Amino acid sequence: MVACLLIPGFELRAALRLRPRLALAPAALAPEPGEEPLLGPVTAVAETAGVTPGMRLGEALATCPSLVLVDRDPATVEREWEGVLRRLEDAGFAVDPVEQGVVVFETKGVERLYGGVRPALARALEAVGSGWDPRVGAAARRFTALAAASVARPGQTLIVAEKEEESFLEPLPLSLLPLPPDRYAELEGLGLRRLGDFAQLPQDAVAERLGVEGRNAWRLARGGRRAKVRGRKPAFELAEALAFPEAVANELTLRRALGSLLERLLARPERAGRPFRKLALAARLVDGGSWRRAVTLRDATAELARLRSALGPKLVELPGPILELRLEAVELAEHTGQQLALVEPAGEEVGVRLREGLRQVRASTGTGSVCAVVEVAPWSRIPETRALVVPRDT
Amino acid sequence: MGPPAVGRLNAPRPALVEIGPGGAPRVVNREEVTLVREEWRVVDRWWTEDPVDRRYFEVVLESGRNVCVYRDREAGCWFSQKA
Repeated sequence: MVACLLIPGFELRAALRLRPRLALAPAALAPEPGEEPLLGPVTAVAETAGVTPGMRLGEALATCPSLVLVDRDPATVEREWEGVLRRLEDAGFAVDPVEQGVVVFETKGVERLYGGVRPALARALEAVGSGWDPRVGAAARRFTALAAASVARPGQTLIVAEKEEESFLEPLPLSLLPLPPDRYAELEGLGLRRLGDFAQLPQDAVAERLGVEGRNAWRLARGGRRAKVRGRKPAFELAEALAFPEAVANELTLRRALGSLLERLLARPERAGRPFRKLALAARLVDGGSWRRAVTLRDATAELARLRSALGPKLVELPGPILELRLEAVELAEHTGQQLALVEPAGEEVGVRLREGLRQVRASTGTGSVCAVVEVAPWSRIPETRALVVPRDT
Repeated sequence: MGPPAVGRLNAPRPALVEIGPGGAPRVVNREEVTLVREEWRVVDRWWTEDPVDRRYFEVVLESGRNVCVYRDREAGCWFSQKA
């Protein structure tokens, strides 16, 4: 069976982990800076006060003046979501994350281990932890499993038998379909409110009126395709971070810090010579929020200069001063052969000797004995803020 | 793995200073000052909760050493530092 585990409003829940009191107050995830001022997920208290996700900020504040806006914290959300996935993987599930808060997995491989589908799903809920209010749905097809999880209560396991799938989907709202908001309005205008109404329409007529996305949604309304769930490749932890003694906003300083992080990440032995395919830059903002940008490289590379030019421009997008910069290797490419140089570049031998010398110093004196000086603000009038001493243990 | 402990380079060290007329150092770490070469003020970050207000002196000691000391006007203490 295909199971879908759902944590509604995951972004808000993750952002509230450090401020649990706000979970009991009317709070909502603040709109993305520079985007349309629409609220993200809201707490149950806010919902009771009439605030709904996707509401305009002005309208929400007029409806509930005590509404607290929670800053987006993408780095924490990413970390917490990775934690949820790893706990599921530790319990034996090969997970296929759909988006933050939604993950799909096959129960077939673990049914014998836990003694059936229901105990396996109970184990999945337990692995995630009741603090997240997870719910799980299971069915023969992926979309039905997602629909079942959407209507389940927190901590509930809802299993839909294959012969009951059609009757189960029929009364559910159209909002479960992955359609843009204007399409819902269009369908509602046609008097369609439930999946069953939509599924009864002729396929050609739907395709003609709504295009490809409409046809795909129509297929989903009938249960969707019977596709196998492929578990993701096990994730690995390969990251470097630099904590600043004080908030940094200067682009040159940030670029220097990025250079230092790249050098350290490239020197990590776990990389085993493999080039980077995808990297992520994350930062902890001075006002408590966080920021994250992922960069997929067209050609996997381990060249410092190319990595610098790929990641450097992202630093301009930082919304404010930061206290910590983190560089994560999200995906490594398989090791590919590299063209050797006919003539060794000048200084290569000195570099090799230097690295070997440093390795010997570290081996004899322990970690933290070899440091690099990173100039972060050489123009500063305050001498101790001009440079940092960063341990180099790799 | 958490970020490594990052240290500041050239962090100020507490200094024992006796002052003379005008607030200039007369004795630094029990050594007489023979010459005050330069004096300047650094006022910065007054908009933060950790403002900086320092009066720096570059002095020459009896032994011939050049030393830079400053009085932190926020904390009311003396520090030595390579400026």
